[in-house]
Amino acid sequence: MRLPRFNYLGPDTLEDTLDLLAFHRDDAKILAGGTDLLVRMKKGLLKPNVLISLKALKDLSYIHEEDGYIKIGARTPLADITASDLIQKKACALFQACEKIGAITMQHYRGTIGGNILQDNRCHHYNQSDFHRSGRQPCHKDGGKICYARDEADRCNSTCQSDGATALMALGAEITLARKGGERTVDLANFYTTDGIMPFAMESHELLKEIIIPVKGAQSVYKRLAYRSAIDYPIVCAGVLLKPSKSQKNKIEDVRIVVGAMSRSPLFLVQESSSLKGKSLTDVDAFKHAADSSMTSASTFAVHHVGATLEHRCEMVSQMVFQALKEAAQKAIDVKG
Amino acid sequence: MSKNNSEFSVVGKRIPKLDAAQKAMGRAEYIQDVKLPGMLYGKILYSRYAHANIVKIDTSKAVALPGVHAVLTGEDVPKKMKMGFIKDNPPIKKGKVCSLRDEVAAVAAISPEIAKKALGLIEIEYEELEGIFDPEKAMEKDSPLVNEHLKSNVLKMPWDIHYGDVEKAEKESAFVVEDRFTTTWVTHCCMGTSGAVALFDASENLTIYTNTQIPSLAHKDFLEALKAMGLENKRVRVIKPIIGGGFGSKLDTYAYEHIAILLAYKCRKPVKVVFDRVEEFKATSTRQPTITYIKQGCDKNGKLLFRDMRMVLDNGGHTSWGATTPSVMLMPISSLYRVENVKYVAKCVYTNNTYSQAMRGYGNPQATFAIESSMDILAEKSGIDRIEFRRINKNQSGDETPQGLKITSCGLEECIDAVKKELKFDGKNEKSVGTGIASLIHVGGGARIYGSDGCGAILKMDDYGKVDVFTGGTDMGQGMDNITAQIVAEELGLLAEDINVIHSDTDICPWDVGAHASRSTFVAGNAALGAAKKVKKKIQAIASKLFDAPAGKIKFKNKLVFVPGDEEKSMPIGKLLRKAHFRPGGTMLMAENFYDPDNENMGKELKGNMSMTYSFGAHGAKVKVDEETGKVEVLEYVAAHDVGRAINPLLLEGQVYGGVVMGLGYALTEEVTVKDGEIMNANFRDYKLFTAKDAVKIKAPVIETDDKDGPFGAKGIGEPGCVPTAPAIANAVYDAVGVRIKNLPITPEKVLAALKEKNN
Amino acid sequence: MEKIQITLNINDKPCDVMVSPNDTLLEVLRDELDLTGSKDACSEGICGSCTIHMDGKPVRSCLTLAMEAVGTKIKTVEGLANGDELSDLQQSFIDHGAVQCGFCTPGMLMSADALLKENPSPDDKTIRKALAGNICRCTGYAKIVDAVAHTGNPQDNCPDCLTSSKPYKIQGE
Repeated sequence: MRLPRFNYLGPDTLEDTLDLLAFHRDDAKILAGGTDLLVRMKKGLLKPNVLISLKALKDLSYIHEEDGYIKIGARTPLADITASDLIQKKACALFQACEKIGAITMQHYRGTIGGNILQDNRCHHYNQSDFHRSGRQPCHKDGGKICYARDEADRCNSTCQSDGATALMALGAEITLARKGGERTVDLANFYTTDGIMPFAMESHELLKEIIIPVKGAQSVYKRLAYRSAIDYPIVCAGVLLKPSKSQKNKIEDVRIVVGAMSRSPLFLVQESSSLKGKSLTDVDAFKHAADSSMTSASTFAVHHVGATLEHRCEMVSQMVFQALKEAAQKAIDVKG
Repeated sequence: MSKNNSEFSVVGKRIPKLDAAQKAMGRAEYIQDVKLPGMLYGKILYSRYAHANIVKIDTSKAVALPGVHAVLTGEDVPKKMKMGFIKDNPPIKKGKVCSLRDEVAAVAAISPEIAKKALGLIEIEYEELEGIFDPEKAMEKDSPLVNEHLKSNVLKMPWDIHYGDVEKAEKESAFVVEDRFTTTWVTHCCMGTSGAVALFDASENLTIYTNTQIPSLAHKDFLEALKAMGLENKRVRVIKPIIGGGFGSKLDTYAYEHIAILLAYKCRKPVKVVFDRVEEFKATSTRQPTITYIKQGCDKNGKLLFRDMRMVLDNGGHTSWGATTPSVMLMPISSLYRVENVKYVAKCVYTNNTYSQAMRGYGNPQATFAIESSMDILAEKSGIDRIEFRRINKNQSGDETPQGLKITSCGLEECIDAVKKELKFDGKNEKSVGTGIASLIHVGGGARIYGSDGCGAILKMDDYGKVDVFTGGTDMGQGMDNITAQIVAEELGLLAEDINVIHSDTDICPWDVGAHASRSTFVAGNAALGAAKKVKKKIQAIASKLFDAPAGKIKFKNKLVFVPGDEEKSMPIGKLLRKAHFRPGGTMLMAENFYDPDNENMGKELKGNMSMTYSFGAHGAKVKVDEETGKVEVLEYVAAHDVGRAINPLLLEGQVYGGVVMGLGYALTEEVTVKDGEIMNANFRDYKLFTAKDAVKIKAPVIETDDKDGPFGAKGIGEPGCVPTAPAIANAVYDAVGVRIKNLPITPEKVLAALKEKNN
Repeated sequence: MEKIQITLNINDKPCDVMVSPNDTLLEVLRDELDLTGSKDACSEGICGSCTIHMDGKPVRSCLTLAMEAVGTKIKTVEGLANGDELSDLQQSFIDHGAVQCGFCTPGMLMSADALLKENPSPDDKTIRKALAGNICRCTGYAKIVDAVAHTGNPQDNCPDCLTSSKPYKIQGE
């Protein structure tokens, strides 16, 4: 499969990159590892006129701890994240998520964490070859007016299948978006539009620059369901952050439950999360209750997908959340000794 | 003649694949790598609809695109150019399309990019027709007809067989079980995609490079193609590059080959048509899906009394070899275990889905899934241990089955014993862990599907003791080259490295019916052995004169020709050959041999001993079922096979391991997802092949029964590895958690749903 | 579209080649430089047949623009051997029966080679994880895993380690 034609630009500095983005805006796409972008271009899903390569921006690749935060450059390869002791210890959910992405030789060296967050939403009706799609009415995401995943849907129901984003949202991460002349930092949980066509609340002249994870003295776990042990996207996934109470023994102070691969964005389930505040670290029933409730909340967004039916995926939400909660709670118990 | 492996010098040795070095260096030339001067690139346009009339085609814009050399539609295909075994399928369709993989146009251009662009400029007006995608529904009276000129979607095929008296046997049975099993489409996923390069010389003779497993039959098909094109009496040369995987996907001639030929003729330049992966999924054939109703019964002592099977086969939009899989399915149906009364009816039904062709096992995996699952169910019902149940009914040497298969060497019981021992069937398993067993029978001594089951070999020795073997056989990675080399080397006292096996060119190589039915070792091996024996006789005659000793006393070993016990009467083979050659009236050493096994075509009632011998095997699986997610984890797997003799244990293991992992995919994860005739998972992410991380270590005990007809006692092993894997897994899952999944693949979702139902 | 000239470092050799921005490294290797060892079996970066090394790390050449390869060191399967002397890993693949049809072999070798440089004695689990992105349809992976495990670590109980016939005679050459 040939890539469509485009102009290739390779700026040397971040400043130059932002200048180019400001100039080309919607005509351009950022090329980091290319493992998502180039596949979509080969399938004819998008045809940008310009690709702006981040090849020279080695400064955007870093992992360090600073003032109670872990800061990761958006251009950091996934392999660096899985090799990082700091992340394994203090942002475990992200470590576990990145380990499970694809396969090491597929995208751990070229693929970046920024690219994983910004991978486009997927749908097995949309992500087909251009010939397959040209023989039918275009769907919402393809510039048309119908949805093949859900009958009569007036909007796109494509799914965010990013392992990285799910884990990061559970960790309470923020992201910094840079543009010519400035930058802004936004909570990842507020970064999504819930629109399957344009899932990210970012302008075409903005560049994802940095991911900031607060170090909270909490445990985090990422669970993912896939039938093969490599290559597959998650059928459903869940990230959990669990902060044990410092004052009350064996009690939970705070929880963040995020369900991924079910909706147009990872779903931060606020109600289910707060329902566990003050509960005991061994309250398995409460975990089950929260897990079942997560399933109900997530189900409203779900659509059929290759490899597993809607019903099964919904059921598995409960499994993934429950397992993640149990494991996080156990880790908290183990740490206390 | 039963010989110990230690008595052989080359046979039985673990000799690495002769072409492995060039492959490991990236120097092997596959069809993707073939580049000829002036070569154009061909691309094929497929139908937009699963069922439609083609109202109008306008190719003018495509023709006008700079860089395009030719555009073809169905109108450009000669009337008599047809593919498929009933010759009803033109390489480019005209007037009507019956499936989404139907070819409707083709383009040749100076680059693949331009060819693809040209396809996009071809304007076709379709009149969409109602499609039918369920074969059981397609059998109903008011169902839309795929072919209007036929009154029904059901093909007229001879798959209606009854041996003995099944009704009577059922009445006499103490225990009867009845179930429905389904298997769906899976596909070969050869890593090297399909492709061909065709070119005509100045005299309009055709040379075609193609990944074919049937060079001689392809040669015939292409001669017929040329005849249809008005080019009778022209020559055809079929050249095989290194083949990047076969598994049965290259056992016919295909649209892309015929299209390459038509384009090459029109452009008078070489034309290359190579599939990308999406095309490979969508436009190549699958394994035949099956819907099977099976009833089996036994007496109170566990003796099988009857087996009654009825199948509905989705024939797709065009008839192809999938419709003949019942002829092979009859083999396990009538002959896996001793059972006297057998009934088998199979209906092939047209639908607007894709059509199926040959895939490793050719129906045997599908039939065995139903049979071996049902055997477990029947064993349980009769209260007999499932291994004992199989032992009671085991095939034995000397049997003649209801279909007329003559069982000669038979190591089935030893295979079952090996599985039982390795997997510790008598031990108790922990919770959610279970073991399962399933056996197989497969042809091991050729398979007489066509009029000839033969293979030719020409052997030429040079003056230095090196041998060229020109064989009709085909190597696609399974090791036909090594086996041939080892057999010839053993016979002539040489090393495998001294033998050069050439199989790539129909101008040079003799006839062979094809690399199917696991016949390469048996048939190509025997062909080469026979030629080697002829050459050996000639050398013995020369040595006899030279040494003044009886020819029969002359032996060959370690590149020497000698009389045992006499130090004087010994000479390096090269020297002997030079002496024979470089003198007045000299001679060179060559021999040819055509080996056609003494098996039978299926005759009346499809009876006939279609192979000279049969390979047997038993597989055992130990699985753990995660009762929360339904995921089945294979903990251990044992695949025991009766192979007659392992000519090369290293390559044999390769065939078993590869076959088992393909079978595990078939059992657990692989399926071509189809919606309204459209393949939805045409990529390696959504079509789930086992990765290295999913695969498990496999134990492969080898049982050697030293078959009297096989070359050095060997039988075939190419296919058996993937035949009983699905029932072994299904039986293990049942043993683990008490649920039986009757449709493949055994996905976590199905297991979970079954567990839920069981617990409610 | 205008082609531009770039210089790539392939197997320690500088190569000048004319490319378009939309040329992938795989296309340039195969079509312009006649290095056809790396294969295109899926074009989507899933199967691993196109795996090469970029600055020592295994990456998908079908998803790497030729332009992105400028200024990096590229190694392909053709660069594993030293002339006609096969590397230990290649020899191990041959000896252990890890090569059947051979189409996945170049990509497997590149992934395995990268692993062994980082970890000369990987266990079974580590090898399978490292090769999980390389699909093989012929071998069932078992012999590939053995070949990698035994490279540089010949095992007494492995008959193929004992009978290694390096340097190996190449069929037809």
